[in-house]
This record gives sequence, structure tokens and C-alpha cells, in this order.
Amino acid sequence: MGGEAEMKRTVDVNIPLGPVHPCFKEPARLKCETRGERVIGAEVELGYMKKGIERIMKGRPWQEVMFLAERVCGICSVIHNLVFIEAIEKISGISVPQRAAFLRVIANELDRMQSHLLANFSYCYTIEHETLAMYLLDVRELVMDELERLTGARVTCAYIIPGGVRCDIRAEDQATLRISLDRIESDLHRYARMFETGPMIALRSKGIGILTQESARRSHAVGPTARGSGIDVDMRTQHPTYQQLGFVPVVRKDCDNHARIMVRFDELFASIRIIRQCLDTLPKGIIRGGGICKAGEIRYSGEAPRGELTYTIKTDEFGRITDIQIQTPSIMNIEACCHEMIVGVDSIADVTSTFVSADPCIACTER
Amino acid sequence: MSILQNFKDFVRSRSIHISYVDVGSCNGCDIEVLACLAPRYDIEQYGIYVHNNPREADVLLVVGAFTPGWEEKLKGLWDKIPEPKAAVAIGNCPISGCVFDRRGSYVDPPVAKHIPIAAEVPGCPPRPTEILQAILSIRDSVFAEWEVKRK
Repeated sequence: MGGEAEMKRTVDVNIPLGPVHPCFKEPARLKCETRGERVIGAEVELGYMKKGIERIMKGRPWQEVMFLAERVCGICSVIHNLVFIEAIEKISGISVPQRAAFLRVIANELDRMQSHLLANFSYCYTIEHETLAMYLLDVRELVMDELERLTGARVTCAYIIPGGVRCDIRAEDQATLRISLDRIESDLHRYARMFETGPMIALRSKGIGILTQESARRSHAVGPTARGSGIDVDMRTQHPTYQQLGFVPVVRKDCDNHARIMVRFDELFASIRIIRQCLDTLPKGIIRGGGICKAGEIRYSGEAPRGELTYTIKTDEFGRITDIQIQTPSIMNIEACCHEMIVGVDSIADVTSTFVSADPCIACTER
Repeated sequence: MSILQNFKDFVRSRSIHISYVDVGSCNGCDIEVLACLAPRYDIEQYGIYVHNNPREADVLLVVGAFTPGWEEKLKGLWDKIPEPKAAVAIGNCPISGCVFDRRGSYVDPPVAKHIPIAAEVPGCPPRPTEILQAILSIRDSVFAEWEVKRK
């Protein structure tokens, strides 16, 4: 394929970015081929974080794999916990009490909020708008407080267990959560308006890192990256509790960096609405049912903050995991980023911001 | 001790530049290091700046259980940092490997085998306040009277 002409591309400079770079949270190396200032191609080099977590998981009981699963990714640990446990429940036919199902959604949405706030912080920090970045990081601490109050830990909380959740939410904690949500919402309205209408932000983000709807489909982009390009994909629409709450995905059609960040802002407000709805309709009753983990095989997906997360699990009759495959969203978004979004950006300064706008999570990509 | 040394110690104690490197963690400790930047914890009020550029750093924060990809690179990164310098291990992973140090995994903890570690902060992940406290606690023992100690 390609032939001689395509193999010999004229490249001025090959600029490597990373693995330790001021703008990247995690180690990844981006090799940009440039002609003049224009980037004509990019290649990502991974392999700095490979721990072999799926190999450790095999042959272990679910009680151990549960804690390994949430350490696949520290930023979105709740969704890894949720998808793994719901897959085990589907295999074993364990039903969840209604109250526990709602509490799971609250924990999941709080986790999504802190992840999106971190992503938007990273983007604002990368385009050197440090004021807005610090505002967003401050709001994130409020969300982390609520997550800690609900689950007992800030990051790796292991809140969701087969048949329910670990602890209940008290009435006074519900009241505090509502007050916090009001404050977070009013703050975020201000910051989202700052981002949407800021002229300097628009110069650095509008029309940069274009991922058209067609190329997003071609590169299998998922999550906010795809929803920023007008593709209506969200695994939450197939989750029974979200269906009960009448969840509708957020979509924007501008296809650039600005759209992807605004999708995350919109999803923050959607998450706040979902949590309020859960608190309003929180049923009374037990939070933990019973059940026995059985043998079986399943492929189960959920919507992580970065996109579709899939676990393929095989268990034996003692509840041990005999085979597991994890498919994380970031690898598709990194692919879309390197082959579609970065190609053709005007300067090397936009490469980092475009890369960060796709919110790549290297830890869960390599596991 | 000379007046010049006193002056140097005073300046250094209020100007610590940080670089952090992730050698294979779950990201949980990374985001707690980032949370230190938040106005609530406000790492800069102690004169600590997070640059993430090893060539101008004083303290290297190491996160994660050493993966094979970093075999030659971490030592090279450590050599790039100018003296006086110190490395702080954040979280259980660089200390013991945490949940990842099992049969079949690729990690090779502890990180102290590869570079000298001055302080360790256990926790999975540690709280931002604990990270801050560790950085502040090594400040005087590493940077004060460095020229005198070197002789």
C-alpha cells in the first residue's frame, strides 16, 4: 500500500514530546513530523506504564480482582469497579436493591464530575489559562469531598460490591450533598460561561484539532471526543438505572477542541441533574442483597468518563476469574487524536492542547 | 557558618522546584499530586513550584511501581537533575509495589533499587496534605548547608 511516493515524505523536523513533559500528567511520547510550523503527522509511543494487570487478575477470586480492577485507572476508579461488579452480577444472576442501584449512580456521577473537572483543568492549564484551571481544580476538591463523604475514600474507594454497595447515605449527608451541588453548579455556570465566551480561549481552541464526524467514526472515537463531533454514543443509555432516570446524552457538533471541552462542561451539569434526581427519588430499603458468584462468561460495557469501557470475564464455580480482557476507551481516543486531530494543526504549541483535549489516560490504556 | 551560607539556605528553603515522574502507577497518586496545586492545599504558598522539567528541579516525585520501560530512562532523568537534589516516593507502589507486585506482573519494585530515595509517603493513594508534609520535611535536611556538607 502507499507506494514509493507515500513512503518518502518530506519532513523538516521530527519533534519528540515526552515522556516527561510539563503538559502531560502521564508518560507518553508523541513524535510529530513537521514541515515548517505545520504538523503533518504524529505517532504515539506507549509502553512506559505496562504493568500486566490482566495477567495478575487471572486465577484470583473476585474478592481480590475487585481491588485490582479499580486500580486499572485511578482517575475513573468507580466505573471500573461498577462495570466489573455488574459483570459478575450478570453472570451469577444477582439482583441489586433499588436503593443500592441509585447510590451506585450517585457515586458514579460524582466520579465522572471529578474526572471531567480534571480533564478541563488540564486543558486550561495547557493553553496557559491558569486562572480558570485553578478555579476548576478548586471546584474539583468540593466534588472529592462529597465522594469521600459518600464512599469513605477520595480515590480508590471500592464502594460497589456484588449485590449492593458498601455503606448507606445518611439523611444529613444527603442535605450536605444538595448544598454542595448548589454551590458547584453556580460556580460551574460562571466558569463554563468564562470558557464559552472568552476571546483568548476561543483563539487557542476554536477550529483547532478538527475531528469530523466521518473521521471520528473511522477512528472509532468514543466518549466526549465522539460526542464533541456530533456522534450520539453513550453506554449510559443502555444501563437500566439510567434508563429509569430518563438519561439523554450531550452532543455538540463543532468538532474542535472547544466543543470537546464544552461537552465535558455540559456533562457536568447533566451529572448534577442526575444526582439531584437520584436524591429526590431515593427509595427506602436495604442497600445490600445476597447471592453466590457462579461460573459463566460475559461481555459487559459501561460508560467511563472517557468513553465505552468493556470487560470480558470468564469465571469458574468458585467465583475465581479464569479469563479477563479489559478494553478501555483511551486507546481509541489516542488513535483518533494522533491520526486525525493532530494532523494539520498550525503550530507545535497546539499539539499538546489537542492531545490533552481528548483526555488520554495512559494508565488504563496500557494497564 | 558564613553569612553567604545563611543567605543561600534562606533562599533555598523558599524555592523548591518539583518534577514528577510516573513509572507505572494507576494514576491515583498522580491526581493527588495534582490536587496539591489546588487553591485549597496551595503548594505555592510554601515556595514549592511544580515545573515538571527535570533540568531545573530540586525534588523528584516518583509515582508508581517501576516498569521495564523505565529501566534506563529513570537513571538518566535522575542524572539530569542538578545538585542538590532529592527523590520522594509517593504511594505504596514505589515502596513495595502495592497490589501490582504479584507473580506474572512486569513491575520491579522498589524504586530505591534504581535511584536513591530520600523520603517515602505510604498510602494508596496518600492524601495531598501528606505529600506536602513529606516535601516540606526533607527541605531542611537535604538543602540546608549543602555546600558545607559536601566538603
